[in-house]
Amino acid sequence: MGLTKQEFAILSEKVLDMVEADSAEVRLQETEDLQVRSANNDVTSNGFIDRFQIGITVSYGKRSASIEINQTEDEAIRDAVKKVEAMGKLAPEDPEHLPPVEPGEYLTPITFSEATAAMTPEEALAQVRPVIEQSRAAGVESAGYLERSVGSSALANTNGLFIHQQSTGVKFSVTARAAEGRGSGWASAQATDLANFDPAPVGEKAIQKALASRNAKERKAGRTTVVLEAPAVRDLLSILSWNLGQRGFDEGRSFLNGLVGDDGELIGKQLFGENATLYSDPLYEPAPCGVHSDGIPREKTMWIENGVVKNLMVPRYWAQKNGTDPVPWPGNLIMPGEGKSTEELIAGVEDGVLITRLWYLRQVQPQTLLYTGLTRDGTFAIKNGRVVGPVNNFRFNESPANVLKNIVASGKQERVLGSESDSPAHVPALVVKDFNLSSVSEAS
Amino acid sequence: MQRRDWLKGVSVTGMGLLSSRWVTTVEAATLVSEKFPALADLALSYASSLGASFADFHVMQTDSESLFAREEMVQGVNADSRLGCSVRVIVNGAWGFAAGENLSEEAVKKMTAAAVALARGQAGWRAHPVEIESLPAYDGSWEMPIEIDPFTIPLEEKVGQLLGINRSALGAGANFCSSYLRAVRERKWLANSFGTRISQSRVRINPGFSVTVTDPRQGGFASRESFLPPRAAGYEHLCDWKSVEEASLAVEQAKEKMAAPSVTAGKKDIVIAPSNLWLTIHETVGHPTELDRALGYEANYAGTSFCTPEKLDTLRYGSEIVNIFADRTADQGLSTIGWDDDGVQTAGKEFPIIKDGIFRNYQMALGQAALIGREGGSNGCAYADGYDSVPLQRMPNISLQPGRDDGVTVESLIADVEDGIYVDGRGSWSIDQQRYNFQFTAQVFHKITNGKLDGMYKDVAYQGNSVDFWNACDGLGGKDTYELGGAFNCGKGQPGQGAPVSHGAVPARFRQINILNTAEESGRKVASKCECSGGGTAWA
Repeated sequence: MGLTKQEFAILSEKVLDMVEADSAEVRLQETEDLQVRSANNDVTSNGFIDRFQIGITVSYGKRSASIEINQTEDEAIRDAVKKVEAMGKLAPEDPEHLPPVEPGEYLTPITFSEATAAMTPEEALAQVRPVIEQSRAAGVESAGYLERSVGSSALANTNGLFIHQQSTGVKFSVTARAAEGRGSGWASAQATDLANFDPAPVGEKAIQKALASRNAKERKAGRTTVVLEAPAVRDLLSILSWNLGQRGFDEGRSFLNGLVGDDGELIGKQLFGENATLYSDPLYEPAPCGVHSDGIPREKTMWIENGVVKNLMVPRYWAQKNGTDPVPWPGNLIMPGEGKSTEELIAGVEDGVLITRLWYLRQVQPQTLLYTGLTRDGTFAIKNGRVVGPVNNFRFNESPANVLKNIVASGKQERVLGSESDSPAHVPALVVKDFNLSSVSEAS
Repeated sequence: MQRRDWLKGVSVTGMGLLSSRWVTTVEAATLVSEKFPALADLALSYASSLGASFADFHVMQTDSESLFAREEMVQGVNADSRLGCSVRVIVNGAWGFAAGENLSEEAVKKMTAAAVALARGQAGWRAHPVEIESLPAYDGSWEMPIEIDPFTIPLEEKVGQLLGINRSALGAGANFCSSYLRAVRERKWLANSFGTRISQSRVRINPGFSVTVTDPRQGGFASRESFLPPRAAGYEHLCDWKSVEEASLAVEQAKEKMAAPSVTAGKKDIVIAPSNLWLTIHETVGHPTELDRALGYEANYAGTSFCTPEKLDTLRYGSEIVNIFADRTADQGLSTIGWDDDGVQTAGKEFPIIKDGIFRNYQMALGQAALIGREGGSNGCAYADGYDSVPLQRMPNISLQPGRDDGVTVESLIADVEDGIYVDGRGSWSIDQQRYNFQFTAQVFHKITNGKLDGMYKDVAYQGNSVDFWNACDGLGGKDTYELGGAFNCGKGQPGQGAPVSHGAVPARFRQINILNTAEESGRKVASKCECSGGGTAWA
């Protein structure tokens, strides 16, 4: 582990020099992961994983092919280049093929921390140990996962592009379960820098939720006001972001087609509530991200501002065809909040449900972006502005588009993990009205 | 070879000299490498010297190829090859694991030391020591039988197949069509401290397509995906696939679906085709009967299970006609293999999960059977999805057995439904973390009226509780209706791993299942009466 930027540049050039095709792109990635997984208050598995990956794409005119390998011997790379060139020559012409990306201007966010990179196996275990000991002391069974990752990547091509970025990350999630009373609680944290990371309060939060969610009472399914904690919000916003593509909209197969009026106009139209804003920014300090998407520079991009759609993702080919600029896929998601505490959000709800986390989200109806999924690990009834006790879990059938229309209030932004995505996000808890809790789940 | 060796001979400032300064120091490793026994001996003896009571050493190479075509364009021609090794140890009753792509002696020693450090670091605060059963020592090899190696088929032929599908769909009126073909060869070499030395190889293939028709005036669209499942097979799997005909049919069905009446929510009898039921089996029987889940090992991710150990041999999981068996030996089964990744031989380890409706056994990996007092040890269900993954308990092939009456067909099952739905093709799927509440959709929902197909419905999902659902089963097709479906990538674990698994099924009838109208669920108003004629669908 630990090749320098200059070494990445040399190795990129070395691979590109082997290529005889018209043009080529090389992608290099070096990663080192430390993993500690636990269940039933003991470590169950773990890992120290060292990887190197080489990706090569070659093009002959509009014919192209790609290969990925992980062996660094000269012979292995030569074989890979030969193979991918043979594939590229045989591939049919793709009318939408474009030459490699031209070099651009790239932002320089701080995505690397020496302290995170220096973590040892013993230190990774030491991060998890207090949570396990807390759980034992509280009489609950905890299951958790800590992962520390260190990575360096480079993208280079025959147009002279060379981008290098280093990154670190540490994430932790834990589920505490109380056997008596079938309680369950979950919490998580994620950071770039180890200095901003502490699993102990995460464990404490999960334990408290587990104890508080014992002996859940029955509550019927139905549309209701919900307080979605930040992990649930980030899942729904991730789903929404995956579906904000210009091409799908232009082709008439996006949920957005059903939202615009007869004029067919989308950009600048108020489709969601005035309190719904979503943007991305690689330089956003609490949750920085990669500086490019396939070589296209990422910059601060407003997707939805005060309920108005401002931008959609535009692939290079689609941009060229329509005479616009490409807009890369986001590397992070940021939703500003009102800064209210969860208690303040609850205080504004007369009758509703507090939801810790969502699970198993799957698309049911692409036309409306209807997704189904379930609540888990801490679901509570709210009456007259306070939590009155745990209730059963629910299956929901709801569209993130409806959620953005129905935001009543928002909390303080948090960097947490979701069930569907671990990419950086900084989002608040939300109070959402008319959320469709479709059926009861017996799971606890 | 160390990564910096790659730089040897390269002047840091002399980029122009690079092309003539390649250094080839180490032979490219393959799975027949003579190096492996020596590396294994090094890893196992070094682990032992560091205090390991058990160790194993895996080498894995996964080669894959994927092709993607959109309309008349081929937009993805990709190959992937990953080779590496791992060391797994038990030290003082704790697991440790490390892996990397570097097959040098130095790297193997480093990863062995890291695995031992991760195990040793639990000393003093571990509550329950890991204990595993002894396994026989095997010295053997196993190769999945295939007829045509997909990696030897010329690219032009494979691409031609995809473009043929797309042209057929476009010719039938699709606005969009995408098709794909994925093939994987997985080679594994395993040595462990019981004395086992095993080499294995298997191949799997996954073809498919999706067609979409749009209605710009209404802002509507409908899609229909192909039904051919992935298989542990060679290119011969595609030979009998009437893909061009299916693409054309899919377009007709997508059009019909878009114009179909919206279903009325409520209880209905449903008949489910194997093309859809395999996934329901996977979610409602496969995952709940993983012992590691039932014991809490997956609590932080995939979840636990309603199917807890005290229910063994007592839970009425389904009606008396329901028999669901597990194996890793089925022909073309995606989970089929000679030995699992713990080194347990799979032949002879087949087992019933549900027999005559009663829950009879769990899927288990090394060291798990004793946790519930079962004799006989692991039933061969360990799998690691790559050189860099620790073996986990993963699903064997889990299949619904045919009914006792061989004469029962899907038509005869439908004939006994007055007002219901015939469910065909895999749609979306979701189930809670203890596997009670599920909700599934499909590619096509055929309306059944008085025992006959009567057009289609749209906006349909079926939802229920796993045990209630299987107890509502009152009809199963005979052995001639059995089909093998499956998933190329079933997810589990932290970090996540994908596993291929097959599920055989016959068409089955279920009484009074909860049907949802997904348009209503989304908050859209549904027209009380459709102006369109649904039209009939003939049996192929």
